[in-house]
Amino acid sequence: MTVAVLSPDNDAMLVQSPSPSVHGLNLLAAGCFREALEPLRLAFRLGDTNPATLLNLAIAEDRAGDRPHAQNIMNQVAARWPDWDEPVLRLAESLRAAGDHAAAEHAYRRTLSLNLARIEAMVALAGLLLLRRQPESARDLLLRACDLAPDNAEAWNTLGLSYQATAVADLALAAFRSAQRLQPHDVSYAVNGVDAAVLAGEAEAELDRLERACERDGLNPAHHAARGMLLDRMGRRADAIDALEVACVLAPDAIAPMRLLAGLLARSSRVARAETVLRRVAEACPDSAQASNDHAAALMRMHRHAEGRAILQAALDRHGPEASMMCNLANATVCLGLQADAVSLARQVIDLQPDAVLPRRALCNTLPYLHGTSGQELLAAMRACSAALPRTPQPPLCNDPDTDRPLIVGLLSGTLRSHPVGWLTVAGIENLDRDSFAIVCLVQNAALHDPIARRFHAAASTWVEVDGLNDAALIAAARAHKIDVLIDLGGYGDASRMAACANRLAPVQIKWVGMQAHSSGLAEMDWFLTDRWETPAGFDALYSERLLRLPDGYVCYSPPPYAPAIKPLPALKNGHVTFGCFNNLAKITPELIGTWATILQRIPDARLILKTHQLSDFATADRFVSVLAQHGVARDRVETRGSSGHRAFMGEYNDIDIVLDPFPYSGGLTTCEALWMGVPTITCPGEIFASRHSVSHLSNAGLADWVAGSMTEYVEMAVARAADLPALAALRADLRARVRLSPLCDAPRFGANLGSALRGVWQDWCGRL
Amino acid sequence: MNMISPVPDAETLCRQATAFLDTGRPGAARPLLAAARTLDDTIPTLVLAEVRLALLDGALIQAIEQLDRALITNPSHAGLRKCRADVRYGIGDWEGAARDAAEAVVAQPSDADAKARLGTALLELGYIKEAIACMQEALAAAPNLVGCREALARALEAAGDIEAADRVLTDGLARGPANVTLFNAAIMLNLRRRDFVQAVAQAEQAVLAGIADATTFALRGHASCSLGQHDQAVQAYQEALKLAPEDQHIRHLAAAHGMTSEGRRAPADYVRHAFDAYAGRFDAHLASLGYAIPSLIADVVARHPKIAGGNALGPVLDLGCGTGLVAMALGDLPLGPFTGIDLSPNMLAEAERKRLYATLREADIIEDLSTQSSQWPLIVAADVVCYFGDLKGLMHGISRCLAPEGWFVFSIETLLPDRDGVLPGNGDWALLRQGRYAHTHDYVYDCISEADLRIAQNDRCVIRREAGADVPGLLLTITPVAA
Repeated sequence: MTVAVLSPDNDAMLVQSPSPSVHGLNLLAAGCFREALEPLRLAFRLGDTNPATLLNLAIAEDRAGDRPHAQNIMNQVAARWPDWDEPVLRLAESLRAAGDHAAAEHAYRRTLSLNLARIEAMVALAGLLLLRRQPESARDLLLRACDLAPDNAEAWNTLGLSYQATAVADLALAAFRSAQRLQPHDVSYAVNGVDAAVLAGEAEAELDRLERACERDGLNPAHHAARGMLLDRMGRRADAIDALEVACVLAPDAIAPMRLLAGLLARSSRVARAETVLRRVAEACPDSAQASNDHAAALMRMHRHAEGRAILQAALDRHGPEASMMCNLANATVCLGLQADAVSLARQVIDLQPDAVLPRRALCNTLPYLHGTSGQELLAAMRACSAALPRTPQPPLCNDPDTDRPLIVGLLSGTLRSHPVGWLTVAGIENLDRDSFAIVCLVQNAALHDPIARRFHAAASTWVEVDGLNDAALIAAARAHKIDVLIDLGGYGDASRMAACANRLAPVQIKWVGMQAHSSGLAEMDWFLTDRWETPAGFDALYSERLLRLPDGYVCYSPPPYAPAIKPLPALKNGHVTFGCFNNLAKITPELIGTWATILQRIPDARLILKTHQLSDFATADRFVSVLAQHGVARDRVETRGSSGHRAFMGEYNDIDIVLDPFPYSGGLTTCEALWMGVPTITCPGEIFASRHSVSHLSNAGLADWVAGSMTEYVEMAVARAADLPALAALRADLRARVRLSPLCDAPRFGANLGSALRGVWQDWCGRL
Repeated sequence: MNMISPVPDAETLCRQATAFLDTGRPGAARPLLAAARTLDDTIPTLVLAEVRLALLDGALIQAIEQLDRALITNPSHAGLRKCRADVRYGIGDWEGAARDAAEAVVAQPSDADAKARLGTALLELGYIKEAIACMQEALAAAPNLVGCREALARALEAAGDIEAADRVLTDGLARGPANVTLFNAAIMLNLRRRDFVQAVAQAEQAVLAGIADATTFALRGHASCSLGQHDQAVQAYQEALKLAPEDQHIRHLAAAHGMTSEGRRAPADYVRHAFDAYAGRFDAHLASLGYAIPSLIADVVARHPKIAGGNALGPVLDLGCGTGLVAMALGDLPLGPFTGIDLSPNMLAEAERKRLYATLREADIIEDLSTQSSQWPLIVAADVVCYFGDLKGLMHGISRCLAPEGWFVFSIETLLPDRDGVLPGNGDWALLRQGRYAHTHDYVYDCISEADLRIAQNDRCVIRREAGADVPGLLLTITPVAA
């Protein structure tokens, strides 16, 4: 509700002379709250104690930020003129804006006791009752308000919300339509109408109505915004984006359509455009913590973590501790290579909200990167996160326990596209025997323009976009598809649906690639897809799941068709060896940097190239070079490179002789890409799953002799390999051919292995009935 | 409250709409243009954008009418003229397209785009020399007009100067080495002139440049296959499938190279696409391959008792009629009228030119047979069964549509064991690398008898010649069991 100023036209008690109070009032009416303060204060000092002047001064103080002072004045005016409802109403509004809902409610009730027909108080009080989950009381109040003021759009809108809260969708829809008729340009009324129409099962009719409205009144962005939102609800995401874009063009400064558009773009993997829109929203709403958080999240998805982190820190400084912002900050912090700070932040949020899932997810997503994290420690964190997930009783699953029938395999993921999950799984999925396995993709962040997404789409018998589904709806949808074996490819990451998995989407559930840093810790996750290198014998106790070891590696790499040709060993031309690491900064720990410094000290002419998205930020890049310099490595021996296109990224391996794998979180796809570009990786595996990816890929490609057993061995191996350039050159020359023929890239072989494993776990389930 | 005040500015709305059209988003452009129209319906950018929308909708007549109206008030507007030239070109009105393009050239003599359009229209009208001159002029002024360069290469090829066509494309590649469209055009030109080595080399250049798309890889596969380089062909088709996993044409060729599980028949899109691209050169190419099936069918049909007895046989159904070679071969026999069915519109257009068919239908054979009510005394299928692996459906369809004493005369390619003596495929049929199916004789016989048909004649024959060797097959004549 807006706060109107008191003008001489409607209040006899206002000062009539051209005095400072009138000047202040005019400024107040123009929305210049700070500017209005001075003349109104002057008027007060000059002895103008007219109640309207005092109240206007209070309004200006309130809007200018001194809420306690404003409320004090309002209370004084109310005490001095006890029959006047206006100061009490203003007080209520100030209290509500300050978030003191209980006091605001009390003040609204006082207003109504003074003036039973005060519509603003009725509507605002009803809004607070809705917040308190008292929709019936709110509805009764609003019915009276609508009866008294049938032209008050906000009253109809709030009535609609009260009906919606009591699940009376048809009356809600009627109420929202009344609000829209009165205020056809109001986006929130139109959007609320969409929700009600969907709940009433009248989505098609509402779409028809909105399309006619768009034709009739094409310049009204509210119609287009509502149409966009409805199309989104109906699963027509591309059309929805178009409609919202239209709304944003028609009303370039309006916040609501921009917010709707940005959310939808972010869910559609169109993050760059989403970030542009969110930046505009954040600029337009500098006081909104939500806008800052959304903008920072978009920047983080674009790997612009330094910018995202700065925004989050500023927002937290301004608004105080807030869990979701702190979780995002923890994630941004780890991605900048500040693992200890990130873990500490995640633990702080857990202390703040010990029962919440999000802080525990933040810990699960930061702890694997921290040097020294043990398998048991990580398992405990995963288990604690899993324990916090809400579970509701579900009906039993009734899948036909026929061991040999064709199986329905569900893939649950927000990254079925050009992403490590895509590159490492798509070829295997494509090569599952289609007569034995039907694939149901439960997809978030779908990006059907993406070549890998198109491959999944072509391999799938069913493609369901589940972004719009809450956990209950996702559970229902997955069960409706009668999925026999569900493979989760998201873990506790960005698009995590582990809460749905905790309620069982299928009789057999498997964790595979996708935030597969370690065990999921989830009791309902039956199996963990792995191999003998990732989880050698004896590792089973570090996992809550049963280990499903594939005969070769646990993934199958599908190299990009556009990978550049491999050039000769750069050391032969450069006269010195160049080490490289193209992994993201979350994996680059202080301990790792120390180890690299040792290697560079042992080989005085060697160079190191670090390349990843976050190094596009100058300050971040400089921090890493400085840390190496503190270890005695001259700045000119270290080169940092920022983001580039994928082909260019792969092409830059032509500048690298040997990759130094990070630890404790090793390279996954990055190691495969280096191999494809003819560059071997020296790795030092640890205990947790994430530390052993490179061991798996190197061993699978026949390069097990590049695996070091300790950090000392890692250093010695780097020194020894760098000293044997002929061997390096020879390996490089035929590494791509070797990798192509190895099980790492043998998709038919992997598909057969995966099929056997899936059949095995299914038979195991059938056998347990 | 979230009240919004719209910003009503028609030019701004049109600009935004055009930007959306440029990025392939007509859904966003349409409402903005409608909104702009309510503010000012006279601005040319509105007309041009609306015409683009109409073209996307396939509403060509509406587009022309809109342009006609706009040109009445703005007769010298080169943009509107070029736009109408494009629309007229799209509906096959080459003369109209040429007139508009010429007017645009007159309005803006330095407009290379307009000259390129004029050249393209002239090429379609058969004025090849004039087209070449026009397009050369356009390219001299604007060497980066890719479409014009492609069209010029086609014109030069049509004029018989393949070397010049090749030069035009390679010159374009030298100017813009990141242009995959030109690469693909150059590779196709080399495939057509059977220079597979050069085609492979050009495909490799595109791959090294990082611009190869699914078409490039598929063409690379085709060229490698033609050179007998099976492994390279497999790799190329693998890469093509990564980039176009939904492309049935590529999937079929990948299956033909044993990379994916084989389909039970060639996808209709594959057959249509393959033959559409081939129609103009089909007859000459088959003649060069020693293709003789139509005349062999004619020899068989001549032995039909009715014809041998000097009587007319009646209507003929020609399945997969292509350009009409079978009807030509049967032309001297007392048969007809002829009905031809084919998936390829371009093939049907060639057949139409021969004026031998009473009816020509664009249809899938199996679907057509399943909906026919006629009983045919003669059905023929020359080199058509090779696009089906599983023959059961086809034979049941034939059984439905054959008159009691009718004949179905068709050719099959014999499935031969590999060098280890193993039959490829499923033992009954196999998809071979050329994208065709070959069948074992026993399987074909089983399908015939399962459909209540019997063999009236069984002639061994040479289906075609490939790499200098005969490809063996059968020419079968079958008839309903009761006959």
